[in-house]
Amino acid sequence: MKTGEIRLLLVDDEDEFRKTIANRLTKRGLHPEQARTGEEGLAILARKPVDVVVLDMKMPGMNGIQVLQLIKNKYPKTEVILLTGHASTLDGVEGIKLGAFDYLMKPVELEHLLGKIRQAHEKVLREEEKARETEFRLKIEQQMVSCERLASLGTLAAGVAHEINNPLAIVKEATGWMKLLLAKQEPTGMTRKEDFEKALGKIESSVERIRRITHQLLGFVRKEEPAPSEVDLEALLEEAVAMVVREASHKEIQISQRVDPAAKKIWSDPYQLRQVLLNLLTNAVFATDRDGKIEVAVETRGEEVALSVKDTGKGIPRENLERIFEPFFSTKPPGQGTGLGLFVSRGIVEKLCGRIEVKSKLGEGSSFCVTLPRHCEIRQHLEDDDRLRLLDKIKDIAKPIVQ
Amino acid sequence: MVRIPTNVLLVDDEKDFVEMLSLRLNESGERVTAAYSGKECLESLEKKNIDVVILDIKMPGMDGIETLREIKRRFPLVEVIMLTGHGTTETAVQGMKLGAYDYLLKPAEFEDLTSKLEGARKRKDEQEERIRKAEASLLVRRTGDF
Repeated sequence: MKTGEIRLLLVDDEDEFRKTIANRLTKRGLHPEQARTGEEGLAILARKPVDVVVLDMKMPGMNGIQVLQLIKNKYPKTEVILLTGHASTLDGVEGIKLGAFDYLMKPVELEHLLGKIRQAHEKVLREEEKARETEFRLKIEQQMVSCERLASLGTLAAGVAHEINNPLAIVKEATGWMKLLLAKQEPTGMTRKEDFEKALGKIESSVERIRRITHQLLGFVRKEEPAPSEVDLEALLEEAVAMVVREASHKEIQISQRVDPAAKKIWSDPYQLRQVLLNLLTNAVFATDRDGKIEVAVETRGEEVALSVKDTGKGIPRENLERIFEPFFSTKPPGQGTGLGLFVSRGIVEKLCGRIEVKSKLGEGSSFCVTLPRHCEIRQHLEDDDRLRLLDKIKDIAKPIVQ
Repeated sequence: MVRIPTNVLLVDDEKDFVEMLSLRLNESGERVTAAYSGKECLESLEKKNIDVVILDIKMPGMDGIETLREIKRRFPLVEVIMLTGHGTTETAVQGMKLGAYDYLLKPAEFEDLTSKLEGARKRKDEQEERIRKAEASLLVRRTGDF
């Protein structure tokens, strides 16, 4: 460790002593700040961060112990080495109790002081490292909580979807049968036949609506591992565009495609990517008015590949931008959207080690960009690693509590 | 034109579903037999002349895949359409590898069901036709030996 990195402050009212020490420390590569009183020292600390303070106990005005308490109170990361007059070990011990790193008795031997300063600095670095680790752990814990919440939400959703599908199939068949019966009735055989037909039609379209939701939910939690293979993004794009082109031509929307040949081939899951692309395109067509434009592009972006869908549609209001990836959030009229498209898409993209971003301006349009690595390693394993690491850590933390 | 009804065996442990779909299929001109388990399905196949089995994958006891294996072993000419309540297609794909004609996700579109039913029926008819022709030519060749 380079001693030059230590931010050091010397606080001592004896000018001769302080300057000598400072000089000698400077020769050893340290650049200590100097203060004659506790107040001066605190003023320096307020201006800039200090790792180690070497603090004289006996000073006019605020004494060492008072200064120490203030430092520890305000700058808990800063370490303090106390300098005591001889035969006042008691002060030193009290100082340590109050959080000083150590104390040295005057007259001080420079090597000894230097050693202590370095030790104190090492402690500062260790504490910083520990703080960083705690922060990291907290972050992961939060991620896991949301991950787990999503997982249990998924399991629940799949269960519900599955349970609903069976009775739904019964409703559907019963309705179909009644329609057949009605169609065979003699015209005079039944009164208000049209009304019955209308009602049955409503039941059928509602069943269809429920079925779309349950199938999307089941699709989201599908246990299938992504199956990576070589993906031709150009072909994928054409395939997906072909599926929305009819809808787009109704509204006279132009769809243009642009593919950078260098970005064309990646290693990922073609079926899941197609679903994402199709979701984005359907949304774009929905959002775009007559005579609008949709631009689909595949580009190289550094080491990665970017797939973007840009429309000249109505745009997304700022307050909705945060929410569009939430499950069941939809601005489509009831019955037209499940509110699961973007939610499912984001899930897929993250599983494929990518990310999905959106930019939008009201009245000008939206642009969704999916960034993917050229080679997708299956994400599940990474998560498992994180999870194991975290579990180990939780065990470590839990042990002392359990005992 | 008089349509020849397809003899359908509908197998699902969900009784209401079997009942409703049977009514609907009967009403649209097929001849449906109901079975509520894999075991009942095989018993019906012993007794009745069946063209197509519509088979639910998830059943207690003998499940759809097991039943399918048994059907294909003992009644290789009978066509099978798998019905699945899951969103998962793997089992259905497995079923098709084992010789099922096709699969349907529950709740299925009736039009899908009828068109697949027709396809399955056609495949069975063609297969039987080929067998008849092969037998006939075999017979001709044998008589030619004399």
